[in-house]
Order: sequence, then C-alpha cells, then structure tokens
Amino acid sequence: MQGTSEILEQAIEQLAKLPGTGRKSARRIALYLLKQQDENVMRLADALVNLKKSITRCSVCGVISDNDPCSICTNPKRDQSKICVVEESQDVFLIEKTNEFRGRYHVLGGVISPLDNIGPDDVRISELMQRINDEKQPIDEVILALNPDSEGEATAYYLNKLLKPFDEVEVTRIAYGIPMGSELEFIDEATLSRAFATRNTF
Amino acid sequence: MRTTRTVLQNFRNHVDTEVEWAPHMNVITGHNGAGKTNLIDAIHYLCMSRSFVASSDRYVVNQDAPYFTIKGHFEGNIRSSFDVTCSYSRGEGKKIFVNESPLDRLSDLIGMIPVVVLAPEDKKLTSEGPKERRSFIDSLISQISPAYLKDLLDFRKVRRQRNTLLQEYRGPREVIIEYLEPWNAQLIEYGSRIVAKRTEVLHQFQEYLAKQYELISGMQHKPHLEYQTFCEPSEDIQEIKARYVRALEKAQDNELEREITTVGPHRDEIVFYLDDFELRKFGSQGQHRLFALSLKLAQLFYFSEQLDDLPIFLLDDVFGDLDAQRTEVLLQALIEHAGQTFITSASPVPFDQFMNFDGEKNREYTVDKGMVTAL
Repeated sequence: MQGTSEILEQAIEQLAKLPGTGRKSARRIALYLLKQQDENVMRLADALVNLKKSITRCSVCGVISDNDPCSICTNPKRDQSKICVVEESQDVFLIEKTNEFRGRYHVLGGVISPLDNIGPDDVRISELMQRINDEKQPIDEVILALNPDSEGEATAYYLNKLLKPFDEVEVTRIAYGIPMGSELEFIDEATLSRAFATRNTF
Repeated sequence: MRTTRTVLQNFRNHVDTEVEWAPHMNVITGHNGAGKTNLIDAIHYLCMSRSFVASSDRYVVNQDAPYFTIKGHFEGNIRSSFDVTCSYSRGEGKKIFVNESPLDRLSDLIGMIPVVVLAPEDKKLTSEGPKERRSFIDSLISQISPAYLKDLLDFRKVRRQRNTLLQEYRGPREVIIEYLEPWNAQLIEYGSRIVAKRTEVLHQFQEYLAKQYELISGMQHKPHLEYQTFCEPSEDIQEIKARYVRALEKAQDNELEREITTVGPHRDEIVFYLDDFELRKFGSQGQHRLFALSLKLAQLFYFSEQLDDLPIFLLDDVFGDLDAQRTEVLLQALIEHAGQTFITSASPVPFDQFMNFDGEKNREYTVDKGMVTAL
C-alpha cells in the first residue's frame, strides 16, 4: 500500500494509541476530523491540551480536579469523619454518581503489586495515615472500596492492619455479591459463595 | 455430551475440513502424519480451549496461514444444543465464542463440555515428575468444579506476586515480613481450598481407579494412590488453614533465603502404587501403560457419575500398544459404558469385529493429507 499523506499517517498513528481504538477506527476518526470545520477541530485540540496542562490533583485526597483542594474536600456539607479509600479517580466519579456516600475520599493511585514493582510506598498510603493521624479532623470510619482481585485484597489487608491500632477508627469494606438485575443461575460460584459468606440480616 | 459436527480452517494440515460425527463410536484411520490427531485435537480445543498435543497455539496454525478457526456443534443433557468457536490469529491471540458471543475468560469454557483424553504421552503420568500428575488432577477437578479452577488461577497469581516480592525486595527483614503478610493470607485461603478439594476427590477416585485397573489388567495387582502435600491431607478447609499457617511460619527463613514460595499445593505429589511397590520406581513398561489407561478410564467413569452427562472420550493412537486381549477388553468397556468416543489408529485393528459401522451409531473415517472421508 502506498500512502499519499505522511501527515494523515502520523495523526492515525497517534489516535491508534488511544484505548479501545485500533488502526481502522483511528483512520475513520482522522478522516472524520478532516471533514469538520476548523473551529470544531480547534476546540477539540484545545480541550486536549488543557486536559493535560491545567488539570491538577487534590493534594488532600488525590483525586483529579481543577482546583486544589478539590470541591469535595472543601465542601463543608460533606461528612469529614468518613474516608472512602479507592484505587483511582474514576472510582470516585462512579461512587459520586450513586449519591450514597457523603463523606470524603482518598485515592491511592494504584494497588500493591510486586509484579508491577508497586509496593506500599508507591501508593498514597502514607498520605492516608497522615489524615488519620490529624487530630484537628478526627476520622471514625474508613471504608475500603477496592477491587475484589488479589492486588485489591492484598492492599485492603495491608491497610486494615495499619488501621487496627486506631481504636476510634472503624474499618469497613464494601459488600461483594450479586449484581442488581441479574439472576442467580448466571452468577459464578465464587461470587455466589462470597455473597453467602457475607450475607446480611434482612 | 456429544458433538455432531466439527469445522476446521487452517488448523495444522486441515486447510478446510468439515466432519459430521456419529453419536457413539468414531474410528479415524490413516497413515502417520495424515491429520488424524489434529481432528480430535480440534475437538479438545473446543472443550478445554487448548491443544492436548502442542505446547503453544502458534504451532497449531497451518504454516501458510495467519490464523485458524475451529467450530463445533454440541448437544448435551444439561444444555441441549449449542455452538462453540475457537479462533486464533498471531496478532489478536485466542478467542472463544459460545453461540457467537465471546467469553470474557477462556477459563469460562472449562467444564461446559467434559472431555477425557488418552494419548501416548500419558505414560509420563506415572513415569515422570509430579507436575504431570498435578495437571492430571487439576484437569479432572476443574471440569467438575468451576470454583476449584478459580482457586487454582487465584493461587497461581498470588504465588507469582509473592515470589516476585521475595526475589525483588532489597531491604530490612522485618519490612519484607510485613509486606509478605497480605499475600500469605491469600496464599493460605486459596491453597487450603485446593488441598481440601484434592483430598476429597482423590479419596473418591481411589475406588474408580481400582475397578478399572482390575478390568484392564485382569487383577494381578491392586492399585492405590497416595496424596502428599505440605501437611497431613484433610477435607476440612479450616484444619488445612491452621496447618498452612504453621508450615509457612516454619518455612519463613528458608523462603527468605531461597527467594521462592516453598509451601503450598504447587509442590503436591501423588504417588501411585501397585500392591505396595511404587510404580514410578519399580513398574514395567506394560504396567505404566495399563496404569495410565486405568487412570483415564477411571476419570471417564468418575465424570459420568459426578455429572449428569457422559463426557466425550478421545483416544489418540493407543491401540497399537495393546495386545489383542486388552484391545478386546477396552473396546468392550467403551462400547458398553462410554458416551461419544473418538479413536485414532495408524495400525490395522479389527474394529469391525467389535462394532457395527452402520453410519448411524458408529462411523469409520479415513484421513489422507488433511482430507477426511467417511466410509
């Protein structure tokens, strides 16, 4: 195959690096953009540059935010005594959508995984412990909302052990079980047995 | 469970092959290298998502093609009718589809179509190292218990994490001991469940093995198997957990020094005995062969009783090694008790003396250069 535009090929190459985009979709997107009006494409380009340049992380909880501290950490209506620990910022956005939790967050930025060369010092565990130790803002509950895979489990186990000496802090974890709207017969055995083991009073 | 049709594209020497199968006995004959084993290996792919011959999917693609596809139609007691497709390409790897919808994990396929294979390599089961025996018992239990398969996969992952930590960490001893703890907890959780399940199944399996060995060998010796793990085996998970905790504590210094996980079911051994002598050390060639055959027959009957369905049985080139009397005993047993069975054979065995190839219940095929002809 002979290409006629090196510029187009470069754009395709960059687009194809995006998650969920193969070369075929990348070509379609590039050709689509080429057909659009100049200002539309400029707006997209500006948004992308801004995304990288202007966005920051909240120095308290670690979530991706325009301001530091973020709007959740500065909101006086949020319960300051409860911290929900999650792996990534996107988990915060998901939980926020539910409107179930009115406390604050702590984003670890990863989970313990020796295979990926990530130890307890490489995620924001010491920052969490600082918040727990802060006497001006007593914490009475830490909710662990980590993924139920082996790395999430290991991280939860490690955190629970660190938090044990704090008598006034209750450590809880989100329940694992049957997804809403599904049927028992389609649930895998591991999930079902976990759901049984952690069943609650009706 | 049975398969009615298999379609192969670029699968080894089968460029474009479609075969309709008979519900009971399917006998495939042909010269060496004609493509007999490839046919039943394709069926194995659709049951277990991998080859029973080749170590990697790469070797299975026809050398002139970039991909292979296998499709099969299956009919069973629990699920009455469904299609399984397995496709592999060098760029995209392997994908499995059940009724055209892709499976999230290849392991979700295991157990859907129970299968038992008997192949010439099976003599390794009794003559070589413990790895072969562990994979035999794992394949056996995984097909009847998805929870066991999940425990195995989780255990493997935790062990890899733990080994990496042991190998890579350069720091104070008390810190690594603290860092190991979260992994120990999971190692013990999954490992104990694996040991309890292996104990339970091997205990039940004992009787099936004795019965089949008696049938095949004409009862010269009494077979027996012994399960060995890091502690005294038990079917009680809590008991194993307590023993695992103690064993891991005891092994700590050794593990830190050798930088590897030394305690767990990944080191298990199953020792086979005939009467009271150990088969691996003292068995003759013939005894190894008959023992492997009995193990696979025992698996077939164990599945049949555990599941509400008969497994598919694949016999790859095993009749050439058996004398006339054993051939007759084995064939009679299969005809009377087995479900759908596939037999490949390069040597002329008088199969038609034992079964009627009417084309309805039993069918005979010849294979030549990847071309299959039903007789």
